[in-house]
Amino acid sequence: MTAALGGARTFASRYWGVLGILAIWQVYVSTQNLNSIVVPSPTAVFADVLTEPGAYLPHVWSTTWVAFVGLCVGVTLGIAVAVLSWLSPLLSGIVTPPAMVFRSVPVVAMIPVIARLLGYDIRTVLAITVIISFFPSFVFTLSGLRDLPAGSADVFSVLGSSRLTYLRRLALPSAVPNLLVAIRLSAANCVLAALVAEFLMGTQGLGYLFVRTRSEMDMARSWGAALVATVLSVSAFVLAARLEQWGRERWR
Amino acid sequence: MSMRDRLRTMGLGAFGLLLVIVSWEVIGRNQLLGRTFPALSDVLATIVDPARRGLFQRALEATIGSALRGFVFGSIIGFAMAALGVIFPPLRAGLDRLAAVMHAVPLIALGPFLIVTLSREGTPTAIATLAVVFNVFVATSAGLRVGNPLHHDVLTVLGAGSWERFRRLELPGALPFIADGLKLAAPAAVIGAILGEWFGAPRGIGIVIVSSLQNYQIDLLWSAALLGAMLSLVAFGAFSVLERWVVGRFR
Repeated sequence: MTAALGGARTFASRYWGVLGILAIWQVYVSTQNLNSIVVPSPTAVFADVLTEPGAYLPHVWSTTWVAFVGLCVGVTLGIAVAVLSWLSPLLSGIVTPPAMVFRSVPVVAMIPVIARLLGYDIRTVLAITVIISFFPSFVFTLSGLRDLPAGSADVFSVLGSSRLTYLRRLALPSAVPNLLVAIRLSAANCVLAALVAEFLMGTQGLGYLFVRTRSEMDMARSWGAALVATVLSVSAFVLAARLEQWGRERWR
Repeated sequence: MSMRDRLRTMGLGAFGLLLVIVSWEVIGRNQLLGRTFPALSDVLATIVDPARRGLFQRALEATIGSALRGFVFGSIIGFAMAALGVIFPPLRAGLDRLAAVMHAVPLIALGPFLIVTLSREGTPTAIATLAVVFNVFVATSAGLRVGNPLHHDVLTVLGAGSWERFRRLELPGALPFIADGLKLAAPAAVIGAILGEWFGAPRGIGIVIVSSLQNYQIDLLWSAALLGAMLSLVAFGAFSVLERWVVGRFR
Protein backbone atom coordinates (compact mmCIF):
# COMPACT_ATOMS: atom_id res chain seq x y z
CA MET A 1 0.00 0.00 0.00
CA THR A 2 2.74 2.43 0.99
CA ALA A 3 4.72 1.26 -2.02
CA ALA A 4 1.79 2.04 -4.29
CA LEU A 5 1.40 5.42 -2.62
CA GLY A 6 5.12 6.13 -3.01
CA GLY A 7 4.91 5.11 -6.64
CA ALA A 8 1.99 7.43 -7.24
CA ARG A 9 3.89 10.25 -5.54
CA THR A 10 6.96 9.70 -7.72
CA PHE A 11 4.73 9.61 -10.78
CA ALA A 12 3.01 12.85 -9.75
CA SER A 13 6.32 14.61 -9.05
CA ARG A 14 7.59 13.60 -12.48
CA TYR A 15 4.48 14.18 -14.52
CA TRP A 16 2.63 17.00 -12.75
CA GLY A 17 3.35 19.31 -15.67
CA VAL A 18 1.99 16.96 -18.34
CA LEU A 19 -1.01 15.99 -16.18
CA GLY A 20 -1.64 19.68 -15.52
CA ILE A 21 -1.79 20.45 -19.24
CA LEU A 22 -4.23 17.56 -19.76
CA ALA A 23 -6.39 18.83 -16.87
CA ILE A 24 -6.39 22.41 -18.22
CA TRP A 25 -7.34 21.04 -21.65
CA GLN A 26 -10.27 19.03 -20.18
CA VAL A 27 -11.52 21.94 -18.06
CA TYR A 28 -11.13 24.37 -20.97
CA VAL A 29 -13.21 22.17 -23.28
CA SER A 30 -15.98 21.60 -20.73
CA THR A 31 -16.27 25.18 -19.46
CA GLN A 32 -15.96 27.01 -22.78
CA ASN A 33 -18.63 24.73 -24.18
CA LEU A 34 -16.62 24.52 -27.39
CA ASN A 35 -17.84 22.56 -30.33
CA SER A 36 -15.83 19.33 -30.56
CA ILE A 37 -14.92 20.35 -34.13
CA VAL A 38 -12.72 23.04 -32.61
CA VAL A 39 -11.20 21.02 -29.78
CA PRO A 40 -12.23 17.52 -28.71
CA SER A 41 -11.83 16.70 -25.01
CA PRO A 42 -8.78 14.69 -23.97
CA THR A 43 -11.05 11.88 -22.73
CA ALA A 44 -12.67 11.61 -26.17
CA VAL A 45 -9.23 11.52 -27.82
CA PHE A 46 -7.86 8.86 -25.45
CA ALA A 47 -11.06 6.84 -25.84
CA ASP A 48 -10.73 6.84 -29.62
CA VAL A 49 -7.09 5.73 -29.51
CA LEU A 50 -7.82 2.97 -26.99
CA THR A 51 -11.02 1.62 -28.55
CA GLU A 52 -9.91 1.64 -32.18
CA PRO A 53 -6.18 1.06 -32.27
CA GLY A 54 -6.64 -0.70 -35.62
CA ALA A 55 -7.34 2.63 -37.32
CA TYR A 56 -3.97 3.97 -36.17
CA LEU A 57 -1.66 0.97 -36.46
CA PRO A 58 -0.95 0.96 -40.22
CA HIS A 59 -0.09 4.68 -40.04
CA VAL A 60 2.05 4.24 -36.92
CA TRP A 61 3.88 1.47 -38.73
CA SER A 62 4.39 3.57 -41.87
CA THR A 63 5.72 6.62 -40.00
CA THR A 64 7.95 4.52 -37.73
CA TRP A 65 9.35 2.60 -40.66
CA VAL A 66 10.14 5.70 -42.74
CA ALA A 67 11.70 7.51 -39.78
CA PHE A 68 13.76 4.45 -38.82
CA VAL A 69 15.03 3.68 -42.33
CA GLY A 70 15.76 7.38 -42.91
CA LEU A 71 17.67 7.56 -39.63
CA CYS A 72 19.73 4.45 -40.50
CA VAL A 73 20.56 5.64 -44.03
CA GLY A 74 21.34 9.19 -42.85
CA VAL A 75 23.57 7.97 -40.03
CA THR A 76 25.39 5.51 -42.32
CA LEU A 77 26.03 8.24 -44.90
CA GLY A 78 27.14 10.59 -42.12
CA ILE A 79 29.67 8.03 -40.83
CA ALA A 80 30.90 7.28 -44.36
CA VAL A 81 31.49 10.94 -45.25
CA ALA A 82 33.08 11.56 -41.82
CA VAL A 83 35.50 8.64 -42.29
CA LEU A 84 36.39 9.77 -45.83
CA SER A 85 37.00 13.31 -44.54
CA TRP A 86 39.12 11.92 -41.74
CA LEU A 87 41.22 9.91 -44.17
CA SER A 88 41.70 12.85 -46.55
CA PRO A 89 42.39 16.32 -45.11
CA LEU A 90 41.90 17.71 -48.61
CA LEU A 91 38.36 16.33 -48.86
CA SER A 92 37.65 17.41 -45.30
CA GLY A 93 38.70 20.99 -46.11
CA ILE A 94 36.38 21.06 -49.11
CA VAL A 95 33.38 19.30 -47.55
CA THR A 96 33.27 20.81 -44.06
CA PRO A 97 32.35 24.46 -44.85
CA PRO A 98 29.40 23.61 -47.15
CA ALA A 99 28.27 21.00 -44.61
CA MET A 100 28.26 23.69 -41.90
CA VAL A 101 26.15 25.96 -44.11
CA PHE A 102 23.68 23.21 -45.05
CA ARG A 103 23.51 22.07 -41.45
CA SER A 104 22.03 25.44 -40.47
CA VAL A 105 19.41 25.36 -43.23
CA PRO A 106 15.95 24.83 -41.70
CA VAL A 107 15.21 21.46 -43.37
CA VAL A 108 11.62 21.28 -42.12
CA ALA A 109 10.81 24.62 -43.73
CA MET A 110 12.40 23.32 -46.95
CA ILE A 111 10.06 20.31 -47.19
CA PRO A 112 7.92 22.03 -49.88
CA VAL A 113 11.01 22.49 -52.07
CA ILE A 114 12.07 18.86 -51.62
CA ALA A 115 8.49 17.70 -52.26
CA ARG A 116 8.38 19.62 -55.55
CA LEU A 117 11.76 18.20 -56.50
CA LEU A 118 11.20 14.51 -55.71
CA GLY A 119 7.45 14.26 -56.13
CA TYR A 120 4.61 13.69 -53.71
CA ASP A 121 5.45 10.22 -52.46
CA ILE A 122 7.17 8.30 -49.73
CA ARG A 123 10.64 8.80 -51.26
CA THR A 124 10.38 12.47 -50.34
CA VAL A 125 9.54 11.64 -46.73
CA LEU A 126 12.49 9.26 -46.67
CA ALA A 127 14.83 11.83 -48.23
CA ILE A 128 13.86 14.37 -45.58
CA THR A 129 14.56 12.00 -42.68
CA VAL A 130 17.90 11.09 -44.30
CA ILE A 131 18.89 14.77 -44.56
CA ILE A 132 17.76 15.46 -40.99
CA SER A 133 19.94 12.67 -39.56
CA PHE A 134 22.92 13.04 -41.93
CA PHE A 135 24.37 16.34 -40.71
CA PRO A 136 24.49 15.65 -36.95
CA SER A 137 26.03 12.21 -37.46
CA PHE A 138 28.62 13.58 -39.91
CA VAL A 139 29.62 16.46 -37.61
CA PHE A 140 29.68 14.43 -34.39
CA THR A 141 31.47 11.41 -35.89
CA LEU A 142 34.14 13.60 -37.45
CA SER A 143 34.80 15.41 -34.17
CA GLY A 144 34.95 12.02 -32.40
CA LEU A 145 37.44 10.66 -34.95
CA ARG A 146 39.65 13.70 -34.43
CA ASP A 147 39.44 13.88 -30.66
CA LEU A 148 42.00 11.18 -29.79
CA PRO A 149 44.58 11.10 -27.00
CA ALA A 150 47.73 12.98 -28.01
CA GLY A 151 50.44 10.66 -29.27
CA SER A 152 48.15 7.73 -30.00
CA ALA A 153 48.83 8.02 -33.73
CA ASP A 154 52.56 7.75 -32.98
CA VAL A 155 52.04 4.62 -30.87
CA PHE A 156 50.19 2.97 -33.74
CA SER A 157 52.74 3.94 -36.38
CA VAL A 158 55.65 2.85 -34.15
CA LEU A 159 53.94 -0.53 -33.81
CA GLY A 160 53.79 -0.62 -37.60
CA SER A 161 50.03 -0.52 -38.07
CA SER A 162 48.43 1.03 -41.13
CA ARG A 163 46.14 4.04 -41.06
CA LEU A 164 43.15 1.76 -41.67
CA THR A 165 44.05 -0.38 -38.64
CA TYR A 166 44.38 2.82 -36.63
CA LEU A 167 40.93 3.84 -37.82
CA ARG A 168 39.37 0.46 -37.03
CA ARG A 169 41.08 -0.16 -33.68
CA LEU A 170 41.13 3.29 -32.13
CA ALA A 171 39.48 6.15 -34.00
CA LEU A 172 36.16 4.50 -34.86
CA PRO A 173 35.53 2.93 -31.43
CA SER A 174 36.38 6.24 -29.75
CA ALA A 175 33.92 8.06 -32.02
CA VAL A 176 31.00 5.79 -31.05
CA PRO A 177 29.87 7.88 -28.03
CA ASN A 178 29.82 11.02 -30.21
CA LEU A 179 27.84 9.21 -32.87
CA LEU A 180 25.33 8.06 -30.25
CA VAL A 181 24.82 11.68 -29.17
CA ALA A 182 24.02 12.49 -32.81
CA ILE A 183 21.52 9.63 -32.95
CA ARG A 184 19.86 10.84 -29.74
CA LEU A 185 19.56 14.33 -31.25
CA SER A 186 18.17 13.07 -34.59
CA ALA A 187 15.82 10.22 -33.61
CA ALA A 188 12.85 12.31 -32.44
CA ASN A 189 13.48 14.92 -35.15
CA CYS A 190 13.23 12.20 -37.81
CA VAL A 191 9.78 11.25 -36.54
CA LEU A 192 8.66 14.90 -36.38
CA ALA A 193 10.03 15.74 -39.84
CA ALA A 194 8.35 12.65 -41.32
CA LEU A 195 5.07 13.89 -39.81
CA VAL A 196 5.41 17.35 -41.34
CA ALA A 197 6.19 15.81 -44.74
CA GLU A 198 3.24 13.42 -44.51
CA PHE A 199 1.02 16.27 -43.38
CA LEU A 200 2.03 18.44 -46.30
CA MET A 201 1.96 15.81 -49.03
CA GLY A 202 -0.78 13.52 -47.77
CA THR A 203 0.70 10.18 -48.74
CA GLN A 204 0.44 7.87 -45.75
CA GLY A 205 1.42 7.76 -42.09
CA LEU A 206 0.29 9.62 -38.98
CA GLY A 207 0.73 13.08 -40.53
CA TYR A 208 -1.61 12.00 -43.32
CA LEU A 209 -4.11 10.47 -40.87
CA PHE A 210 -4.11 13.82 -39.04
CA VAL A 211 -5.06 15.81 -42.18
CA ARG A 212 -7.47 13.29 -43.64
CA THR A 213 -9.53 12.85 -40.47
CA ARG A 214 -9.54 16.63 -40.00
CA SER A 215 -11.09 17.15 -43.40
CA GLU A 216 -13.64 14.46 -42.48
CA MET A 217 -14.39 16.38 -39.24
CA ASP A 218 -13.39 13.34 -37.19
CA MET A 219 -11.61 15.49 -34.62
CA ALA A 220 -11.13 12.85 -31.95
CA ARG A 221 -9.17 10.73 -34.41
CA SER A 222 -7.26 13.70 -35.81
CA TRP A 223 -6.09 14.71 -32.33
CA GLY A 224 -5.57 11.03 -31.60
CA ALA A 225 -3.10 10.91 -34.50
CA ALA A 226 -1.27 13.90 -32.97
CA LEU A 227 -1.29 12.19 -29.58
CA VAL A 228 0.07 8.92 -30.98
CA ALA A 229 2.69 10.90 -32.90
CA THR A 230 3.78 12.62 -29.68
CA VAL A 231 4.10 9.26 -27.93
CA LEU A 232 6.07 7.95 -30.92
CA SER A 233 8.54 10.84 -30.91
CA VAL A 234 8.98 10.65 -27.12
CA SER A 235 9.62 6.89 -27.44
CA ALA A 236 12.16 7.49 -30.21
CA PHE A 237 13.96 9.95 -27.96
CA VAL A 238 13.88 7.66 -24.92
CA LEU A 239 15.11 4.66 -26.93
CA ALA A 240 17.94 6.70 -28.46
CA ALA A 241 18.89 8.06 -25.03
CA ARG A 242 18.98 4.48 -23.65
CA LEU A 243 21.15 3.40 -26.58
CA GLU A 244 23.49 6.32 -25.89
CA GLN A 245 23.77 5.41 -22.20
CA TRP A 246 24.47 1.76 -23.03
CA GLY A 247 27.05 2.73 -25.66
CA ARG A 248 28.74 5.17 -23.31
CA GLU A 249 29.33 2.39 -20.79
CA ARG A 250 30.36 -0.10 -23.44
CA TRP A 251 32.81 2.14 -25.40
CA ARG A 252 34.31 4.33 -22.71
CA MET B 1 47.77 27.19 -36.64
CA SER B 2 50.32 28.82 -38.89
CA MET B 3 49.43 31.50 -41.42
CA ARG B 4 49.99 29.06 -44.27
CA ASP B 5 47.69 26.41 -42.78
CA ARG B 6 45.03 29.00 -42.18
CA LEU B 7 45.20 30.23 -45.76
CA ARG B 8 45.02 26.63 -46.97
CA THR B 9 41.93 25.92 -44.83
CA MET B 10 40.22 29.08 -46.06
CA GLY B 11 41.14 28.32 -49.67
CA LEU B 12 39.77 24.78 -49.50
CA GLY B 13 36.60 25.98 -47.76
CA ALA B 14 36.04 28.68 -50.37
CA PHE B 15 36.60 26.06 -53.07
CA GLY B 16 34.02 23.77 -51.44
CA LEU B 17 31.41 26.53 -51.27
CA LEU B 18 32.18 27.57 -54.85
CA LEU B 19 31.75 23.95 -55.94
CA VAL B 20 28.25 23.90 -54.42
CA ILE B 21 27.30 27.19 -56.11
CA VAL B 22 28.66 26.13 -59.52
CA SER B 23 26.99 22.70 -59.42
CA TRP B 24 23.69 24.32 -58.37
CA GLU B 25 23.96 26.64 -61.39
CA VAL B 26 25.00 23.89 -63.84
CA ILE B 27 22.37 21.40 -62.65
CA GLY B 28 19.66 24.05 -62.78
CA ARG B 29 20.73 25.54 -66.12
CA ASN B 30 20.76 22.14 -67.86
CA GLN B 31 17.73 20.86 -65.94
CA LEU B 32 19.68 17.77 -64.88
CA LEU B 33 17.27 17.25 -61.98
CA GLY B 34 14.20 18.25 -63.92
CA ARG B 35 12.21 21.45 -64.19
CA THR B 36 11.74 21.77 -60.46
CA PHE B 37 15.43 22.50 -59.79
CA PRO B 38 16.11 26.06 -61.02
CA ALA B 39 19.54 27.60 -61.58
CA LEU B 40 20.89 29.71 -58.72
CA SER B 41 21.06 32.79 -60.97
CA ASP B 42 17.33 32.47 -61.76
CA VAL B 43 16.49 32.20 -58.08
CA LEU B 44 18.61 35.26 -57.25
CA ALA B 45 17.09 37.17 -60.18
CA THR B 46 13.63 36.44 -58.75
CA ILE B 47 14.69 37.71 -55.34
CA VAL B 48 15.97 41.03 -56.68
CA ASP B 49 13.19 41.42 -59.28
CA PRO B 50 11.67 44.88 -58.61
CA ALA B 51 8.19 43.52 -59.39
CA ARG B 52 8.51 41.10 -56.46
CA ARG B 53 10.15 43.54 -54.06
CA GLY B 54 6.91 44.48 -52.31
CA LEU B 55 5.89 40.85 -51.89
CA PHE B 56 9.19 39.75 -50.37
CA GLN B 57 9.44 42.85 -48.20
CA ARG B 58 5.98 42.34 -46.67
CA ALA B 59 6.64 38.61 -46.26
CA LEU B 60 10.01 39.16 -44.58
CA GLU B 61 8.61 41.83 -42.26
CA ALA B 62 5.81 39.51 -41.14
CA THR B 63 8.10 36.50 -40.61
CA ILE B 64 10.80 38.49 -38.82
CA GLY B 65 8.15 40.07 -36.61
CA SER B 66 6.62 36.73 -35.64
CA ALA B 67 10.03 35.14 -35.12
CA LEU B 68 11.21 38.05 -32.94
CA ARG B 69 8.07 38.07 -30.79
CA GLY B 70 8.24 34.30 -30.46
CA PHE B 71 11.93 34.54 -29.56
CA VAL B 72 11.28 37.08 -26.80
CA PHE B 73 8.21 35.33 -25.33
CA GLY B 74 9.82 31.91 -25.62
CA SER B 75 13.05 33.06 -23.97
CA ILE B 76 11.16 34.61 -21.06
CA ILE B 77 8.98 31.51 -20.56
CA GLY B 78 11.91 29.09 -20.95
CA PHE B 79 14.05 31.09 -18.55
CA ALA B 80 11.23 31.42 -15.99
CA MET B 81 10.57 27.66 -16.11
CA ALA B 82 14.25 26.89 -15.56
CA ALA B 83 14.51 29.43 -12.71
CA LEU B 84 11.40 27.92 -11.13
CA GLY B 85 13.09 24.51 -11.13
CA VAL B 86 16.11 25.96 -9.31
CA ILE B 87 14.11 27.94 -6.75
CA PHE B 88 11.65 25.06 -6.06
CA PRO B 89 13.70 21.87 -6.62
CA PRO B 90 10.71 19.51 -6.08
CA LEU B 91 9.16 20.92 -9.27
CA ARG B 92 12.25 20.18 -11.34
CA ALA B 93 11.53 16.59 -12.47
CA GLY B 94 8.03 17.52 -13.62
CA LEU B 95 9.28 20.58 -15.52
CA ASP B 96 11.87 18.46 -17.33
CA ARG B 97 9.22 15.97 -18.45
CA LEU B 98 6.83 18.76 -19.43
CA ALA B 99 9.48 20.40 -21.61
CA ALA B 100 10.38 17.08 -23.23
CA VAL B 101 6.75 16.27 -24.03
CA MET B 102 6.04 19.79 -25.30
CA HIS B 103 9.04 19.45 -27.58
CA ALA B 104 7.75 16.10 -28.87
CA VAL B 105 4.26 17.38 -29.74
CA PRO B 106 4.25 17.79 -33.51
CA LEU B 107 3.94 21.53 -34.10
CA ILE B 108 1.80 20.93 -37.18
CA ALA B 109 -0.82 19.33 -34.91
CA LEU B 110 -1.07 22.56 -32.90
CA GLY B 111 -1.41 24.82 -35.93
CA PRO B 112 -5.09 24.23 -36.69
CA PHE B 113 -5.97 24.52 -32.99
CA LEU B 114 -4.04 27.78 -32.54
CA ILE B 115 -5.66 29.29 -35.63
CA VAL B 116 -9.08 28.82 -34.03
CA THR B 117 -8.17 29.85 -30.49
CA LEU B 118 -5.67 32.65 -31.18
CA SER B 119 -5.89 34.04 -34.69
CA ARG B 120 -4.30 33.62 -38.08
CA GLU B 121 -1.89 36.44 -37.24
CA GLY B 122 -0.99 35.06 -33.82
CA THR B 123 -0.31 31.44 -34.81
CA PRO B 124 3.21 31.98 -36.25
CA THR B 125 4.26 33.81 -33.07
CA ALA B 126 2.78 31.08 -30.87
CA ILE B 127 4.55 28.27 -32.73
CA ALA B 128 7.84 30.22 -32.74
CA THR B 129 7.40 30.70 -28.98
CA LEU B 130 6.94 26.97 -28.43
CA ALA B 131 10.01 26.18 -30.54
CA VAL B 132 12.12 28.61 -28.48
CA VAL B 133 10.90 27.59 -25.00
CA PHE B 134 12.44 24.12 -25.16
CA ASN B 135 15.90 25.30 -26.25
CA VAL B 136 16.09 28.08 -23.67
CA PHE B 137 14.68 25.89 -20.89
CA VAL B 138 17.14 23.03 -21.48
CA ALA B 139 20.16 25.35 -21.80
CA THR B 140 19.23 27.50 -18.80
CA SER B 141 18.52 24.59 -16.46
CA ALA B 142 21.80 22.93 -17.47
CA GLY B 143 23.61 26.23 -16.86
CA LEU B 144 22.01 26.92 -13.48
CA ARG B 145 23.12 23.48 -12.25
CA VAL B 146 26.83 23.83 -12.98
CA GLY B 147 27.55 26.22 -10.08
CA ASN B 148 30.47 25.10 -7.92
CA PRO B 149 29.05 23.84 -4.57
CA LEU B 150 32.08 25.33 -2.80
CA HIS B 151 31.27 28.84 -4.04
CA HIS B 152 27.68 28.17 -3.09
CA ASP B 153 28.75 27.42 0.51
CA VAL B 154 31.12 30.40 0.68
CA LEU B 155 28.33 32.80 -0.31
CA THR B 156 25.94 31.18 2.19
CA VAL B 157 28.48 31.48 5.00
CA LEU B 158 29.03 35.12 4.09
CA GLY B 159 25.30 35.62 4.62
CA ALA B 160 23.95 35.67 1.07
CA GLY B 161 20.29 34.74 0.70
CA SER B 162 19.04 32.52 -2.09
CA TRP B 163 18.24 35.53 -4.31
CA GLU B 164 21.66 37.06 -3.74
CA ARG B 165 23.26 33.71 -4.50
CA PHE B 166 21.20 33.35 -7.67
CA ARG B 167 22.20 36.83 -8.83
CA ARG B 168 25.87 36.66 -7.96
CA LEU B 169 26.74 33.02 -8.57
CA GLU B 170 24.21 30.89 -10.41
CA LEU B 171 23.07 33.40 -13.01
CA PRO B 172 26.55 34.57 -14.14
CA GLY B 173 27.68 30.92 -14.25
CA ALA B 174 24.69 30.01 -16.42
CA LEU B 175 25.15 32.86 -18.92
CA PRO B 176 27.41 30.95 -21.36
CA PHE B 177 24.85 28.11 -21.41
CA ILE B 178 21.97 30.54 -21.89
CA ALA B 179 23.85 32.18 -24.77
CA ASP B 180 24.30 28.73 -26.33
CA GLY B 181 20.58 28.04 -25.89
CA LEU B 182 19.67 31.39 -27.48
CA LYS B 183 21.96 30.56 -30.41
CA LEU B 184 19.98 27.37 -31.07
CA ALA B 185 16.66 29.08 -30.32
CA ALA B 186 17.13 31.87 -32.88
CA PRO B 187 16.88 29.66 -36.00
CA ALA B 188 14.19 27.61 -34.22
CA ALA B 189 12.12 30.81 -33.91
CA VAL B 190 12.45 31.42 -37.66
CA ILE B 191 11.42 27.83 -38.51
CA GLY B 192 8.53 28.05 -36.01
CA ALA B 193 7.29 31.29 -37.58
CA ILE B 194 7.48 29.81 -41.11
CA LEU B 195 5.67 26.62 -40.04
CA GLY B 196 3.03 28.67 -38.24
CA GLU B 197 2.39 30.66 -41.41
CA TRP B 198 1.59 27.50 -43.37
CA PHE B 199 -1.78 27.35 -41.63
CA GLY B 200 -3.05 30.45 -43.35
CA ALA B 201 -1.34 33.52 -41.91
CA PRO B 202 -2.22 36.63 -43.95
CA ARG B 203 1.41 37.09 -45.07
CA GLY B 204 4.92 35.79 -44.50
CA ILE B 205 7.66 33.68 -46.06
CA GLY B 206 5.82 30.48 -45.10
CA ILE B 207 2.74 31.57 -47.04
CA VAL B 208 4.80 32.44 -50.12
CA ILE B 209 6.42 28.97 -49.90
CA VAL B 210 3.11 27.12 -49.64
CA SER B 211 1.24 29.12 -52.28
CA SER B 212 4.09 28.92 -54.80
CA LEU B 213 4.31 25.17 -54.10
CA GLN B 214 0.63 24.79 -54.93
CA ASN B 215 0.79 27.09 -57.98
CA TYR B 216 3.92 25.44 -59.38
CA GLN B 217 5.91 28.71 -59.32
CA ILE B 218 9.31 27.08 -59.03
CA ASP B 219 11.51 30.19 -59.02
CA LEU B 220 9.30 31.88 -56.45
CA LEU B 221 9.26 28.74 -54.27
CA TRP B 222 13.05 28.51 -54.24
CA SER B 223 13.47 32.25 -53.70
CA ALA B 224 11.20 32.24 -50.67
CA ALA B 225 12.90 29.11 -49.32
CA LEU B 226 16.34 30.68 -49.85
CA LEU B 227 15.23 33.85 -48.05
CA GLY B 228 13.90 31.74 -45.15
CA ALA B 229 17.18 29.80 -44.98
CA MET B 230 19.20 33.05 -45.06
CA LEU B 231 17.03 34.47 -42.29
CA SER B 232 17.72 31.50 -40.03
CA LEU B 233 21.45 31.59 -40.93
CA VAL B 234 21.65 35.29 -40.06
CA ALA B 235 19.82 34.69 -36.77
CA PHE B 236 22.21 31.85 -35.96
CA GLY B 237 25.25 33.91 -36.95
CA ALA B 238 24.24 36.92 -34.87
CA PHE B 239 23.72 34.81 -31.76
CA SER B 240 26.96 32.88 -32.38
CA VAL B 241 28.79 36.21 -32.11
CA LEU B 242 26.90 37.03 -28.92
CA GLU B 243 27.68 33.59 -27.50
CA ARG B 244 31.38 33.95 -28.22
CA TRP B 245 31.42 37.28 -26.41
CA VAL B 246 29.49 35.93 -23.41
CA VAL B 247 31.71 32.83 -23.15
CA GLY B 248 34.80 35.05 -23.27
CA ARG B 249 33.42 37.40 -20.66
CA PHE B 250 31.73 35.09 -18.12
CA ARG B 251 33.50 31.73 -18.24
